[in-house]
Amino acid sequence: MVFVKNWEDFEIAAENMYMANPQNCRYTMKYVHSKGHILLKMTDNVKCVQYKAENMPDLKKIEKITSNLVGHMASKE
Amino acid sequence: MVLLDNSSFILRLEKIANNARNDSSFTVTFKRYDGHDRPEPREGRPPLAKPSTYMCLMRAQCKSKKISTVLRQEDVPTMMAMYSQFMKSKMDGLKRVKKVKSKAKIAKG
Repeated sequence: MVFVKNWEDFEIAAENMYMANPQNCRYTMKYVHSKGHILLKMTDNVKCVQYKAENMPDLKKIEKITSNLVGHMASKE
Repeated sequence: MVLLDNSSFILRLEKIANNARNDSSFTVTFKRYDGHDRPEPREGRPPLAKPSTYMCLMRAQCKSKKISTVLRQEDVPTMMAMYSQFMKSKMDGLKRVKKVKSKAKIAKG
């Protein structure tokens, strides 16, 4: 349960984890307005990667990875 | 857990986000969904049919309030557009970073 410091590392780790086990993976985002951050978490019940976003530019990246993952989730195979 | 359709999910999510603004938080979860609402059969029984297309289950929670929706493949683009609109309007408490002027601009002005 460690936070990944680097966005690129998180993106790759999360996508790899999802690809390895799509059926059991879930992707969660938690927004805390009072603290001004978004927590992203990808887990397959065994391993877990997390990222803490605190800056505005991160929102764009989060949007991108979210729509990417949802695209993978709602697909034919 | 209330199962809603896509657009009313976003509307409810906006309400939840407004309520969570002061002193609490909310979570949104995405997961692959194969359409089965029953457990995997025990050994020796016929397994559940494999779905032809998968869907995406989207859930949101704030305190004890929970809502959910199912995204079908053809709804994904519209839903993601709505969701990114939602993120822009509700998740606005992040720190703004000042743009650093590039050296060329500084030299000019």
